[in-house]
Amino acid sequence: MSALYLYPRWLRAWHWINALLFLVLMYTGASMHFSGGGWLMPFDLAVTVHNTAGILLTLGWIGFVIGNLSTENGRHYRVRVSGFFGRLFVQARYYGYGIFHNAPHPFHVSAEMKLNTLQQLSYLGVMYALMPLLILSGWAFLFSVSLPETLLGLPSVWLVAMAHLTLAYLLVLFLLVHMYIITTGETVTTNLRAMITGWHREDEPSSGQTEEAKS
Amino acid sequence: MNDRDISVRAGGWLALGLLLSALLGSVPETEASIQGRLGTDNADCLRCHRMETLAYRDPRTGDIVDLHVDSRAFGHSAHGELQCIDCHEGDFGQYPHPESALGERLDCVGCHKELHKADKRAYTFKTIDEEFALSIHATSDSPKAEGFDCHRCHDPHGFRNSEVGQPIAEIVRADNQICLSCHTKIRDPHSTAHLWLPKRDKHWTSVRCLDCHTPLTDPGQPVSHQILAGADSNFDCVNCHSKEPRLLQRLYQYRSETDLAGSGWLSKAVFNQAYVVGMSRSPLLDALGLSVIGLTLLVLIAHGWGRYRAYLRLKEDRS
Repeated sequence: MSALYLYPRWLRAWHWINALLFLVLMYTGASMHFSGGGWLMPFDLAVTVHNTAGILLTLGWIGFVIGNLSTENGRHYRVRVSGFFGRLFVQARYYGYGIFHNAPHPFHVSAEMKLNTLQQLSYLGVMYALMPLLILSGWAFLFSVSLPETLLGLPSVWLVAMAHLTLAYLLVLFLLVHMYIITTGETVTTNLRAMITGWHREDEPSSGQTEEAKS
Repeated sequence: MNDRDISVRAGGWLALGLLLSALLGSVPETEASIQGRLGTDNADCLRCHRMETLAYRDPRTGDIVDLHVDSRAFGHSAHGELQCIDCHEGDFGQYPHPESALGERLDCVGCHKELHKADKRAYTFKTIDEEFALSIHATSDSPKAEGFDCHRCHDPHGFRNSEVGQPIAEIVRADNQICLSCHTKIRDPHSTAHLWLPKRDKHWTSVRCLDCHTPLTDPGQPVSHQILAGADSNFDCVNCHSKEPRLLQRLYQYRSETDLAGSGWLSKAVFNQAYVVGMSRSPLLDALGLSVIGLTLLVLIAHGWGRYRAYLRLKEDRS
């Protein structure tokens, strides 16, 4: 039995609030985008809820960045350059092949590094590229009056709308993959439990996998 | 001096007096002397004209001519600070007003000739004039459109420009009321007009008649005065509900500006009404986005199934 405290309270609070906001934004966003469907929220209400949730998401994102800058959590997002492609290949091979043959996890969770290279890359991309762009495009919608008439020769509001839509689809995609990939821990619920309790627990240490993760 | 001499001399003074009074009469009155006369102060005029029933029947046409001026609306109108006599020149000191004072035709361009900002705008009264000449209100053969002038829509006693910050619904209602005051049949519940329009009532409360019934103007310029006939108007949903920049931009920027001018940026960000249904719609992106998400879902399900099979094999091996 090994247990690592990997997810401090602020991070868990942020994560679950963010998750809730994601769901609200997806539903209200779809209600605005595909307005009129029976299962959708009434348009007027959807707009207000979406705007509010978007503002809260912005505050949450700022909190996340400050948290990573001011605590040790930020180190988990520092990509080690040496052996980067090798690790990436090994991890991708595990998800694409090894996992179907009961191969051991190629990555060992530790207090120093809780994310594998693939996770690192996707979280970095989502939190430091897609999310800020999504937030920026959302705010650009609200304050479009300050935008120029055209951007890059295209109508600016339309450009903002298309950027927001593309980013939204990408983040829905991320959410799907994220929800699935967290089930690939030692057990299906290992990672979910870790994000609820803060403790990463592995009940059945297998050869070489949790040795360094033991507390 | 005999009686004859006296009468000749008196006649001479009389002629001189008449001549002098005629000469003096042609000298323009000073502003102060006009202001002091009855019928030159707004209160004098409104004493009668604020009566809602004040009207007369035109002996030539037989039509009732409404002479009522809503003093409250006038006070809030664009002309609220003007004196009645600034526009209505003539001798209104007597009642009934003399024929000469009644026949005048007021001309907006007389005052609105060149605004001080005119050189910065492509949109001048000349443009308005040109556009109006092509308007259905000018070209229609209908007797109802006969003599159509600015005042039919821009009631000089009540018209005011909408202001940024006013609730959109209020602006739309006030603007559309101008059209509906003549086009009364539109309101008839059995009217078939606009039946093609999805969510017709919602459109009527959110969009001005002018937004569809005028051709597009250049960005940043006011709405055109070329009112289009129903058949020539915008029937294309995607002119607003898509990327078409000009009409969408017109609606969106206007709404956005209105929203932001209110009570602070945060509350206006929350209650922002600027989003127009369909503006983020792109058939290509929707198809691409939804298919990638659908395919991903299938791959994940297949992946999960593969993992489950591996788990069963492991269990079997262990047992």
